[in-house]
Amino acid sequence: MRTLEIIAIIFMLIATGVTFGLYQINFQGFTNLTNYSKTPAYDLSGTRLYSNGTLLLNVTRTAGPDTYGGFIVLVQILYPNGTVLYQWTGQQLGMLPQSDIINKFPLHPAKPIHIGKYGVGILAPLGQNFVVKLQVPFHIKPGTYIVRVYDADGQYEAYGTEFQVTVTVS
Amino acid sequence: MAQVAIETTQKFLPVLRVTLGWMFLSAFVRRVINVPAKLNPQSSAYVGGKILTFLPHAWSPIKGILIWVLENPTLLYDFIIAFTALEGIFGLTMILGLFTRLSGFVLAMFSWGMGLAAGWLGSTCVDEWQIASVEGAAALMFMLTGSRWLSIDQILYSKYPEGIKIGKMRIPLW
Repeated sequence: MRTLEIIAIIFMLIATGVTFGLYQINFQGFTNLTNYSKTPAYDLSGTRLYSNGTLLLNVTRTAGPDTYGGFIVLVQILYPNGTVLYQWTGQQLGMLPQSDIINKFPLHPAKPIHIGKYGVGILAPLGQNFVVKLQVPFHIKPGTYIVRVYDADGQYEAYGTEFQVTVTVS
Repeated sequence: MAQVAIETTQKFLPVLRVTLGWMFLSAFVRRVINVPAKLNPQSSAYVGGKILTFLPHAWSPIKGILIWVLENPTLLYDFIIAFTALEGIFGLTMILGLFTRLSGFVLAMFSWGMGLAAGWLGSTCVDEWQIASVEGAAALMFMLTGSRWLSIDQILYSKYPEGIKIGKMRIPLW
């Protein structure tokens, strides 16, 4: 009987350990509880800006609901002091040709969304990584700039991280 | 007396066993019978797309495998077909109480594996983690209890109480 009880306790500890472990891994439930399915978030790592005005906006949708959105409705290039150098609104982003958006994964592609001639923005499905080719209509002086995107909820921040990246034009 | 107590407990195990099995068998039914488009890579309903939504916060060792599979659509398709088939088979055997111990082990591994990939998802609550943990613990429990009531294992047990023997090793499939 003693052996049976030891086995039972060992397996109880295994199952409980996995449950607690998954809680911590997935939600940091024992330290800083975070549910990444609540609000859309974007990561812009890999974004590049060139002096001829070409912006290769590299977006990864990293959080939010799995079945819907997010929608990027504003892309900005800012000076380090926060003044806008140039921006694209949802109207322009939604009217981009699909060929200007290059998706990393074939499933659930990011795409421009428009209703007739009214551009809405860029649909960014959860998990997708894509590059949007944008063109500023003038040359950009060498220096440091901030590239930022806004979600359709009007925010450029979620879970303590801003949807922006610092780029250098040489 | 101890023997009697185990028998009593066994009679209440089907309360959970059928529900647990159906969680997996119904996944098979949804993809194969209800909405076959879920298994069509050309369809927007294709479940391969779900794997993409797991990516951002999947446990890092699993994440690499997910990316590799997503970049190889043929591999992804084979994986989904195999996973769906196994979910169907072991969900059904759990419901029937056939090879309950083996089914319990396999379903526990499926549940916990899903918990490491998709466990962070949950727009209503901490949904996928709850599913993975409860199903995993329940399935592991059936690996330990087997099933001796309202089950095919019950019949197998009465005929072959020793289980399967390979050499001196006794394999307790039921």
